[in-house]
Amino acid sequence: METQPSQHASPGGPLDKADRLLSPVEDIFNFIAALAIFVLMLLGVLQIVLRTVFNAPIVGYIDMVELSMATMAFLGAAYCQRVGAHIRMEILIGNLRGRALWIAETFGIVLSLFIVGVLVWYSWGHFLRAYELGDSTIDAEYPVWPSKLLVPIAFGLWFLRLLIQFVGYLRLSLNPAVTPEGVVLIKRVEEVARDEIHEALGDETEGQSNDPDRRAQP
Amino acid sequence: MIIGIGFSDPFLVGLIGLGILFVLVVLGVRVVIAASLVGLVGLVELLGWGPAAGIVGTIPHSKSSAYALSVLPMFIFIGFLAFHAGMTRDLFEAARKWIGWVPGGLAVATVFATAGFAAVSGASTATAAVFSRVAIPEMLRYGYDRRLAAGVVAAGGTLASLIPPSAILVIYAIIVEESVGRLLLAGFLPGLVSALIYAAIIIIWSRFYTDIGPPVSGFSWRERFETLPGLIPILAVVTIIISAITYGWATPTEAGALGAAVVFSIALLKGTNFKTIRGALMESAKLTVMIFSLIWGVLIFVRFLGFSGLPEAFTLWITQLDADPMVIMICILIAYAILGMFMDAIGMLLLTLPVVYPAVIALGFDSVWFGIIVVKMAEVCLITPPIGLNCFVVNGVRPDIPLTDVFRGITLFFVADVITIAVLLAFPEIVTWLPNLVRG
Repeated sequence: METQPSQHASPGGPLDKADRLLSPVEDIFNFIAALAIFVLMLLGVLQIVLRTVFNAPIVGYIDMVELSMATMAFLGAAYCQRVGAHIRMEILIGNLRGRALWIAETFGIVLSLFIVGVLVWYSWGHFLRAYELGDSTIDAEYPVWPSKLLVPIAFGLWFLRLLIQFVGYLRLSLNPAVTPEGVVLIKRVEEVARDEIHEALGDETEGQSNDPDRRAQP
Repeated sequence: MIIGIGFSDPFLVGLIGLGILFVLVVLGVRVVIAASLVGLVGLVELLGWGPAAGIVGTIPHSKSSAYALSVLPMFIFIGFLAFHAGMTRDLFEAARKWIGWVPGGLAVATVFATAGFAAVSGASTATAAVFSRVAIPEMLRYGYDRRLAAGVVAAGGTLASLIPPSAILVIYAIIVEESVGRLLLAGFLPGLVSALIYAAIIIIWSRFYTDIGPPVSGFSWRERFETLPGLIPILAVVTIIISAITYGWATPTEAGALGAAVVFSIALLKGTNFKTIRGALMESAKLTVMIFSLIWGVLIFVRFLGFSGLPEAFTLWITQLDADPMVIMICILIAYAILGMFMDAIGMLLLTLPVVYPAVIALGFDSVWFGIIVVKMAEVCLITPPIGLNCFVVNGVRPDIPLTDVFRGITLFFVADVITIAVLLAFPEIVTWLPNLVRG
């Protein structure tokens, strides 16, 4: 629902540098999640074929899927934060301007830093227990810890992204006149609509005034 | 213990927690953050820091790695590929040639084409955008009223959420611990009924006002049959999912995977390049993590609510009300309609269901039926002011059709939706018949 001006803002600021450092890592994490989705598709088809045609289903298929879920569920969390895709209600905050907006955003990020920080710490504990006890899945006895380790890693990256946004919003709260860096800006419903259109129609939307249909209409 | 009432009055803690969650969400804190934070703080108040943080730290992984949830990324991927499989124009062509001859024929054709595409893409707004390009010019060329043309495109997209594959029905099933398969099956008939009521209302309207939607006829049977191959992708996906659940030859995840593979192959055949596929995958990953975050965030909050005893208290209160359950149900639906004007459908469901759902079940309503009703309700809100994103999308693609005209065009379909909900309230069998058939 939101844009990231940071990529287009004037380069050189320390926030921009941090942003450029973190962005490729987030992209890679999200891409791994994307690959996992693709593999899940292939695995599902393979499972159907092997079971119905050859009567030989993949051993531990369900365990495999369950362990791989962590890849899809968590790795993209920071990426999602960067592009502002974690949903929220914008009816109030969308109408704020200037310093009031930046303070409201900073407040939200402070809360996020706290809970994500707690989650990093305690999901690490959750992983550590599984690792030390040598937990494995019931059916195929795959070790559980690699899957659990993904949570503190992904959330750690999310925490770093939140730190960048925290500094970015705080800076704007202190001086609303500076160029936004390392933050996401809220879009109005018309802009959201425009993005949706662009996403659905791609480059087709360009040059639509030349559309013959359009000229033909009454 | 933070303020020190945790041991003496858990119910009060639950109530305060619910209040704070509401305030945070209204203030614009991201739903996953607000829900998990209030859940953590509430649990700390009730249980103390150690046990509370310990519980909270395990929830994201344990709740996300459930096999039933793995169907979500499959449905989402199908959705992002749907457009690239090039079925939009084909669908509209087929619908136009087969049913264009009825009064308001092109608008009726648009209803079925959008229903079909929306079902597979699962994206209401994207459907509105695509069909603004495909169907509106055609309707205007035949002299259709532009309010009708814009309205049908904006409204048609809302049929996405009921016809399988539907991600939002999967989410409902997970949250209330109902069978994913039953929910997916249950959505099919109500989705069809919604589309038929849309069609009926267009036909009736166009009979009275013959100038707003003239019929379009003169297609030979040969021309009609030639359009059928264009329907293959959508028929394949819907058939695979429904038949897999009905006959049990595959789990929803496996059926979703097969459906995705079919759409993926068609997209490749249509010449989709690697970059586009990669984009669709990245978008799928983004939406998947967004939905999973919501799920574990809300489940942290739900764990806290469970300890506070608030849902039980609310259920007790509502069942002791001296009112007809149907009246209470209608009040609940009106509350959803108002809430839905300001909130995203998935967020709204996740935040309200933990409290509302047990009460609804205690009143004697069917859980699958309630899921369908509430999802339909949430979708209706995609076309109502003040947000009505679909209407903005139509206006964005066709700036020549003013927003006021789009919203006016929607009125007819809003009435149709109210009728649909009334029909589903009066005849719950429309929802429960198919899933019960399979179970029995």
